[in-house]
Amino acid sequence: MNASRFDLWLGLPLAAIALLLPFTGPSDFMLNLATLVMIWAVFAIGFDFVFGLLGMVSFGHASFLGLGGYALALATQMWGLPFCAGVSLAIVAGALCAWLFSFFALRVSGIFFALVTLALSQLLYILADSKLRAWTGGADGLPGVARPGLGGIDFFDSTLFYWYVLAVFALVMAAVVVLRRSPFGRVIAGIRQNETRAEQLGFDVHRYKQITFIVSGGISGLAGALLASLLMYVNPQMLHWTTSGDVIIMTLLGGAGTLWGPVIGVLAFEVLKEWLSGWTQYWYGILGLIFILATLFFPKGIVGELQERYGQWRDKAARRDGRIS
Amino acid sequence: MSTLIIGLSLGMLLFLLASGLTLIFGMLGVINFAHGALYMLGAYIAFDIGRHTGSFVAGLIGATVLVALAGALIERLALRPLYDRPHFYQLILTFGVILVISEVVKVVWGLGYQESTMPPALAGTVDMFGSTIPVYRLFVIGFGALVSGGLFLLIEKSTFGMLVRAASSDGEMVRLLGLPVASVRMAVFALGSGLAGLAGAIAAPLFPIELGMATNTIIDCFIVVILGGLGNIRGAVAASLLIGLVRAIGYSYMPSWVDILTFSLLIATLLTRPQGLFFRATRSA
Repeated sequence: MNASRFDLWLGLPLAAIALLLPFTGPSDFMLNLATLVMIWAVFAIGFDFVFGLLGMVSFGHASFLGLGGYALALATQMWGLPFCAGVSLAIVAGALCAWLFSFFALRVSGIFFALVTLALSQLLYILADSKLRAWTGGADGLPGVARPGLGGIDFFDSTLFYWYVLAVFALVMAAVVVLRRSPFGRVIAGIRQNETRAEQLGFDVHRYKQITFIVSGGISGLAGALLASLLMYVNPQMLHWTTSGDVIIMTLLGGAGTLWGPVIGVLAFEVLKEWLSGWTQYWYGILGLIFILATLFFPKGIVGELQERYGQWRDKAARRDGRIS
Repeated sequence: MSTLIIGLSLGMLLFLLASGLTLIFGMLGVINFAHGALYMLGAYIAFDIGRHTGSFVAGLIGATVLVALAGALIERLALRPLYDRPHFYQLILTFGVILVISEVVKVVWGLGYQESTMPPALAGTVDMFGSTIPVYRLFVIGFGALVSGGLFLLIEKSTFGMLVRAASSDGEMVRLLGLPVASVRMAVFALGSGLAGLAGAIAAPLFPIELGMATNTIIDCFIVVILGGLGNIRGAVAASLLIGLVRAIGYSYMPSWVDILTFSLLIATLLTRPQGLFFRATRSA
């Protein structure tokens, strides 16, 4: 199965839509929704590094997202740093937090990994909500988070901010493609398939897991900064464990471990949400039901199923042409 | 003294919840995220039955039975097809169940708080050891002790309990011996859910009934179940009483540190003794 050509076929129309959208005269609502989808997609991609590539369920990614948001808010408001420095700080904050978590969480595996990450992130949530109120504004959050300021461009304009996020999103996607194809990415895939084998082959499995976790945390921190900038607001809800649950739902819906799966998952989630909330206020429950059905019947997710069909179709075509006997 | 009583009653309530969760884990290997949501459902059902019939006991029984039925339904429809898949699918699926249950509660009872009233027979206070103690707290302790005693007898002495213990240590073997493992699993899930519903019904007069119960309570349950050792009911008793007392004492002396301390204890336990504080090598069930 030629996965990369599949990724290309899927990516091209998405890229075309993303590039053309601002020229179709969309409403501010549409643009903001598209921006939100891209930001959450960055988060889901970061999350999928641990979930899809490494095969570990983390319930702590809300921490990295939230810390990224707070890092940007504090850097620009309290310390008066420029936006770019704030975003860099957010990435560092997410990565640092992941590094700290990794000391605790990587000592255990399976369900215990999920529980330890859950406990650590809830601890952070409670701290942000109570003890660190001077920094985080407690349950009220911090309003007025900055937007980027590049060469006098007004990023409070939805269209311009959309281009900014699109550029960051494209950068992240490119980095992910490179990482997945690099020797490092191959080792990670090997660890997921068979951890003992990877270890016996001489790879420092713990170190590889730790680095993946840190990269994942850094990307999530970036997403947190962008999200705070879009909403111009951060609050502890970003750190709550249900946020980690949401990103799991989205990733699984789209297809964990595939390149475009997290992106499609976020897109499907947000579009379904907008569509459902248009005709019923109980959209979250219906979404939960759809999610349960998807887990039961399409465990590979939208992209995973498509990829499998595509592989079968290619094999059949190859056999028909006599390329494979 | 009253702090002690409050702590014990809180602990008993936690035990009712955690015993169901730990029973389900021991038997099915499933971490049920929706346990808190079932607890919430129990509280709402008990509140509604109590409002319409005026009977507290009817609320207790109704909540237990209905939530147990809901649990059986969840196991049969959603979990049973997933046992062969990696464990995280079950974990994630129960997260989806939370969303559905929360929405059902929103549809039926709305978004606001609900206040349940105490049954008049238990609403008073008594003077004990020089302090005034609400009768309801004593009732919670007594009732919790009764239920946990019954649960022990069921698991340790009855034929059903033997089947549960056998199936949790080697389900495949028990199935090959011709015993209905699938039904036992469903029964255990229903029993665990019923205990959550019962806990919800008992908690209803003590706390405001609200949607946040679903996601907040489950975290407390996890703490107890992990401290006690996943699947270990004896451990769950000790851990819930411990956490209940720590909570009660903590809230009266240093309220802002309670959560931070319990979470630190939890993380330390997960790292140093992942089998729980009260682990004994031979026990399962």
